[in-house]
Amino acid sequence: MRKYVLRRLLLAIPVLLLSSLIVFGLMRVMPGDALIALMGESGNIGERELAHVRQQLHLDLPYYQQYAIWLWQLVSLRPGDSIFTGEAITVSLAKSIPVTLELTVLALVLGLVIAVPIGVLSATRQDTASDYVGRVVAVSGLSLPDFWLATLVITFAALWFHWIPPIGYTSFWDSPWRNLQQFLLPAAVLGFRLSAATMRMTRSTVLEVLREDYVRTAWAKGLGGRIVVYKHALKNALIPVVTIVGGQIGVLLAGAVVVESIFALPGMGRLTVEAILYRDYPVVQTNVMLVATTLVTLNLLVDLSYAWLDPRIRYR
Amino acid sequence: MRTDDAGRAAFHRLNRRDFIRTSAAGLGAAAVLAGSGRTASAATSPYPDWIARSDKPAKRGGSMARASAWDPPLIDPRLTQSVGLYQFVTLTSSRLVRYVFSDEASGPTDLTLKGDLAESWQASPDHRVWTFKLRQGVKWHNMAPVNGREFVAADVKYCFEQYAKEGVQSFNFQEIEAIETPDKYTVRLHLNTPNVLLAQNLAEPIAVLFAREVLEKDGDLKKTLIGTGPYMLKEHTRKVRIVLQRHPDYFEKNAPHVDEYTILSTPDAATRLAAFRTGQADFIWVASPSEVETVRKTNPNAVVQAYHNTLAPFGLTLAQDRAPFNDVRVRRAISMAIDRQKMVDTVFEGHGIPGWGVPYIYYTDKQPTLAQLGPWFQYKPAEAKKLLAEAGHPNGFPTTLFYYEYFPQMTSEVQLVQQDLKKNLNIDVKITKLDYTTYYGRYVESKWDGMCWGFQSGHGIGLDERTYQFLHSRSPKNFFRVNDPMIDELCTKLRQTPDPAQQRALTKKLVEREFDQAYRLWMPYDNGFLVFQPHMRNASAPALRRSDGYGASTLARTWLDK
Repeated sequence: MRKYVLRRLLLAIPVLLLSSLIVFGLMRVMPGDALIALMGESGNIGERELAHVRQQLHLDLPYYQQYAIWLWQLVSLRPGDSIFTGEAITVSLAKSIPVTLELTVLALVLGLVIAVPIGVLSATRQDTASDYVGRVVAVSGLSLPDFWLATLVITFAALWFHWIPPIGYTSFWDSPWRNLQQFLLPAAVLGFRLSAATMRMTRSTVLEVLREDYVRTAWAKGLGGRIVVYKHALKNALIPVVTIVGGQIGVLLAGAVVVESIFALPGMGRLTVEAILYRDYPVVQTNVMLVATTLVTLNLLVDLSYAWLDPRIRYR
Repeated sequence: MRTDDAGRAAFHRLNRRDFIRTSAAGLGAAAVLAGSGRTASAATSPYPDWIARSDKPAKRGGSMARASAWDPPLIDPRLTQSVGLYQFVTLTSSRLVRYVFSDEASGPTDLTLKGDLAESWQASPDHRVWTFKLRQGVKWHNMAPVNGREFVAADVKYCFEQYAKEGVQSFNFQEIEAIETPDKYTVRLHLNTPNVLLAQNLAEPIAVLFAREVLEKDGDLKKTLIGTGPYMLKEHTRKVRIVLQRHPDYFEKNAPHVDEYTILSTPDAATRLAAFRTGQADFIWVASPSEVETVRKTNPNAVVQAYHNTLAPFGLTLAQDRAPFNDVRVRRAISMAIDRQKMVDTVFEGHGIPGWGVPYIYYTDKQPTLAQLGPWFQYKPAEAKKLLAEAGHPNGFPTTLFYYEYFPQMTSEVQLVQQDLKKNLNIDVKITKLDYTTYYGRYVESKWDGMCWGFQSGHGIGLDERTYQFLHSRSPKNFFRVNDPMIDELCTKLRQTPDPAQQRALTKKLVEREFDQAYRLWMPYDNGFLVFQPHMRNASAPALRRSDGYGASTLARTWLDK
């Protein structure tokens, strides 16, 4: 097991290096210039002044040197400052990570709380009305884009209830109630998509497991339906579900970009989008690397969880 | 670039279906009205273009909020002209002079100057030396490191020198040759050349005064903004909110009336609308009449001001320093091949202007009609084709057009121009839609070929800003690449002409020259509406100074009747 983890960690290094190269390259290939956007709002910015700022930010160096400097900054956990705002990237991240983390965790919890019971219900009552309803909801969740759903939710909340979540982020520690009001709707929107995918997967894997011999044996022993389904079938059906949930974290982070904008939450999604629009190289690069590292770590954790879910699985 | 008069607090999300529906209706209407001589500016709105000040005595207290699309990346007025900053900086920081607030103005086009930090000002007979007498006892905000010390003449000298030294405002301040401070309350500015419009320039929002201690301590003004204005910056959390708190030692003893003003960073238009509907925002900008009606369905008591646009900030910018656009016949032909009336009727639901660059209030009393913009702005496809043939392009030519979608209607306009030019002149326009940074960098670099959907900055209120600063061939803000000795001469002469009647005559001449030579092909633009909660008083937006944008300083006189 330890060997397996070590090997996976070592394999993560080239993956992350490749990611860093891709994001660094893409940012340099993209047209536009952060400095002109920043300094030239009226066009009267001198070449000398621009050159001076370029030098300060190492943007005058050859690409390989810029890359090496940036990599070293990342490794030493000092990713530098935003070109556009001058704020230290660590400070920006310290503000935005808790927002995105709270949003995605809440979305994940809401998604799973909805998806797993409905998936099981759909499977155990296959081809009944409740199964059809569950499937329709799942297909809707997969089909409706986040931006559309979020816009509808906020518009109809205003029209029908004369209420929308309070705008202007408040930390959970400052006011838990206000914070929950701000996060519940966006998390529900974000979690809806996750719940749809998870619901479908839960339904199909539970259906498959329910047809296994050992489940038939359990029924034959006269065990109650609840015990058969939740104790014997569900745990074994969860491996593909966990895999899909692990994979959906990336989708959740991508969806957070849109949902954060619509619900005016200052998370990593908004930070990254704004940085991309302004060609704020250091911020984009650092954020992408942070997401890449998170996904690599989550994938590893998902793989490791298989052994817990199914003791037959052994890592070599 | 962001615009104000121009600007877009909340753009109508015009989807494809809406557009087709509106286009069809508009085209039908245009066909019916074609013979009636109806002009774009003749479109009427059921809402007033001015909300007079309240006669009731102002109430103190309460808090006010607005959901804003704009989030200032930095708060250093030396480094940006972005509306993100200027939607509040004139509330925290004063200028030497200012334009009348809405409770002092006689109407939307009232551009009377009032003293802000200056009590009085006077120019020498040759208008090269300007003397400003400052108010005494004005206090900076009581915040470290300034700690509420008195504002004095040396502060003005320091600020203006810093503005001239670096940053985006430097061109405006470099005309100041020397600054004298004969005593604590007198500032004397010596100019390189005469400028009768200097006081107007110093009333521009970009001329706010900042505290020297902050710049000396931090090296920039990115983190702390301390001024002498009616509000103090209590909080600036990027992508969340800006909170302004009443300045208790503000020099006008009865102002401001509202204790706190919060600007909520809200990038999404639907959310801003929802914020207004649910009372989280006290006022909102909407672009189209149909949006106003949508808002009024849920908020029937909302007070609507039909905004009075005095200029169009966007136009078809041609690379007129090179062929084929250096030929005036080509520029005129292109202008005549574009159906501006159709754009106003379809894209802006009739509530728009056909487009001109210099605010009309500086040369005429009434908003010009399309017919008054001169022969080259009329839609005459046959004549346009003939003119292009005379210029040596009987079969048209291929060209390019790049743009950034500042608001959804802009894409519709760009496509209509493409269709008109293809249909009427066989000019093949290849459109490239760019992201903001790419667009901006390319546009201001001014090395591109072909065409661009260009802009003029939104902050300018004064005549000098809108003429000399944007049209003179040596100005760095001359993005349309106008290079005409006659225009240069007229702009310069305007700066030397103190008589208002002569100024108007000169401006008219300048505008006529601009139209005649088709230097800047202005495109239609909406008028828009400001919608207020019924308890808002004295928040009306005068021309060129929208209270949710560059004209925010007027909110110092706003009060809440609840």
